[in-house]
Amino acid sequence: MQNDEDFFGRQLPLRGAPANGAVGQRALRTVGERRQCQRCGQWLAVTDRLANGDWYCRQCLQLGRLTSQHELYTIPEPNRFARVKSGGLTWTGQLSAQQDVAAQAVLRHVKTRTDHLLWAVTGAGKTEIVYPALAWALAQGWRVAWTSPRVDVCLELAPRLRQAFGGVAQALLYGGQADPYAYCPLTICTTHQLLRFKAAFDLIVVDEVDAFPLATSPMLQRAIANAQKPQGCHLLLTATPGNDLQQQVRRHQLAVTYVPLRYHGHLLPQIDLRLAWRWREGLLRNRLPSALIHQLRGYLAKHQRFLLFVPHVVDLPVISQALQLAGIQGGVTVHAADPDRPTKVQAMRDETIPFLITTTILERGVTFPNIAVVILGGDDPVFSTAALVQIAGRVGRSADFPSGQVTCYCHSHTKRVRLARGMIAHLNLQGRRQGGRP
Amino acid sequence: MSACVWCGRQLQATLTLAQIWRFAPIAQATVCDTCQHRFAAITSQHCPACGRQQIDETVCLDCQRWSGRPLTNHAVYVYDVAMKAYMQQYKFQGDYALRVLMQAPLAAALQRETYDVLVPIPVDQTTWRTRGFNQVTGWLRNQPFQQALLVRATHKERPQSAKARADRLRTPQPFTLAPNASQILHGQRVLLLDDVYTTGRTLRHAADQIYLGGAKAVTSLTLAR
Repeated sequence: MQNDEDFFGRQLPLRGAPANGAVGQRALRTVGERRQCQRCGQWLAVTDRLANGDWYCRQCLQLGRLTSQHELYTIPEPNRFARVKSGGLTWTGQLSAQQDVAAQAVLRHVKTRTDHLLWAVTGAGKTEIVYPALAWALAQGWRVAWTSPRVDVCLELAPRLRQAFGGVAQALLYGGQADPYAYCPLTICTTHQLLRFKAAFDLIVVDEVDAFPLATSPMLQRAIANAQKPQGCHLLLTATPGNDLQQQVRRHQLAVTYVPLRYHGHLLPQIDLRLAWRWREGLLRNRLPSALIHQLRGYLAKHQRFLLFVPHVVDLPVISQALQLAGIQGGVTVHAADPDRPTKVQAMRDETIPFLITTTILERGVTFPNIAVVILGGDDPVFSTAALVQIAGRVGRSADFPSGQVTCYCHSHTKRVRLARGMIAHLNLQGRRQGGRP
Repeated sequence: MSACVWCGRQLQATLTLAQIWRFAPIAQATVCDTCQHRFAAITSQHCPACGRQQIDETVCLDCQRWSGRPLTNHAVYVYDVAMKAYMQQYKFQGDYALRVLMQAPLAAALQRETYDVLVPIPVDQTTWRTRGFNQVTGWLRNQPFQQALLVRATHKERPQSAKARADRLRTPQPFTLAPNASQILHGQRVLLLDDVYTTGRTLRHAADQIYLGGAKAVTSLTLAR
């Protein structure tokens, strides 16, 4: 049996009215000849029909099928939480001066309930900057969601937040979770899970707002808007905002706080561009650009560990073989569908292997101290501007090794590469004004 | 430009000169090549009784344990990880659009069978209401079939797929004959059609009823084994 609490600010599909006072609406709304799913907001195709004549939504099928027989039930969010002093913050760390300035700006915007973008470079300590604002919101009895399109970000974040906010009950929601749903002031979830909510949250923090698939999915963007209370606000976190966000900032439609410096106060490493003309044709003969070979041999000789990014999964074995032939040995390949990915990344962290050959899967969320990055085929469409900046951001993350080399080998000088270099230069310009060191 | 019904990737339609000159409607692909080749087809080396993929062509141990009237089953695909994932989304999540994936392979398999009447295994009333379709008839495009079987109204406490082998074998007869079944079945060679052959219990129960209806011979075809 479901409690009242399960309906607070949610939209649950049922075939009959529940015993409590939840109000229902048809799960599929008919508008003229078309039907719209009320959970995900997408329009049904004329073929999305069952043999018994019912309609069903294919877009949000993974969350459980909605048919024209279903109704969505909700109880308006009552914020029925016990007030906790200082928002249950148990974090004892210290913010640096720059982080503190940004944290105060974020807090100011949350207090006035304005939508806000925190544009902080990779390795700036975004999560910690949000803590003061989050603590204030929780102390007000707000319901808060911390959401990300990437499940690994959520899984990594949940224990950190549990430690930092020991005084607040927290729920972690993602596809395939083991624990049942719990009504908590702080919800950490993937953006897909927000589809189950309706006008629930006073504040939604969207981590890695430019990551796949959120950036290209109108369904998920609507889910965020829908899960937020009409008087609520959202806070977007990213190191590499997409074109539309940057445009909103330029038009003053979206407030922004820059953190152009990393927590250790050093500037971002700029991408070093090198021409590798027709390298793909060379690869057919098992040859890599000689400049690349020379550089990688140098790294091996100096015991400098590095990441080699390549465009596609199919390139991995070919390039790995070509490197072997050139005498650059000991590396391991990693891609998204690789079952051994966690162990290989861990081996790289433990410094048992000298380098990884990888696809864009390692563009975010991984930190190796003292690492160099080499991109082969940076002009390939899989490397978006954001991806290139994120990849460059793998370098120099630790305070002990705040700088390093990022080299990009391209067949041609494309707009994406130029924009990525431009974005890094723009952030470094702002960083220098704040006293950043190269 | 359309997307693959399963993986959602965009399909690259290639238009040939011949297609342009024919001035006929062009059949649009709905499934990408990768998804179509995800499943492992059963080769000629299979158990002659149940159609299971194996390394020789002898009757498998499971089939030797069955007593009573033998039933010959053929299967199209191996019930492997890919097929389980497909069944999960199609049957249990109820994504009826995925039926198109299996329509062409099943039509080809039906061509290879000799039969007079095609009888798909029915679903019970509750399933029809909640799932909204019969997963077996969804795979048929225009092939004629007869609903000669009905499912008894007694409510299943658990689905077959949630039981262990010993439990499944103890399942009582779930089928009855439709009122007009004896006219349809009398003296005919009947082909039963089901989704997955696991222990063979369901198909044998169905075959028993079909024989009672006066059929001359009963064989079966399943999508997976």
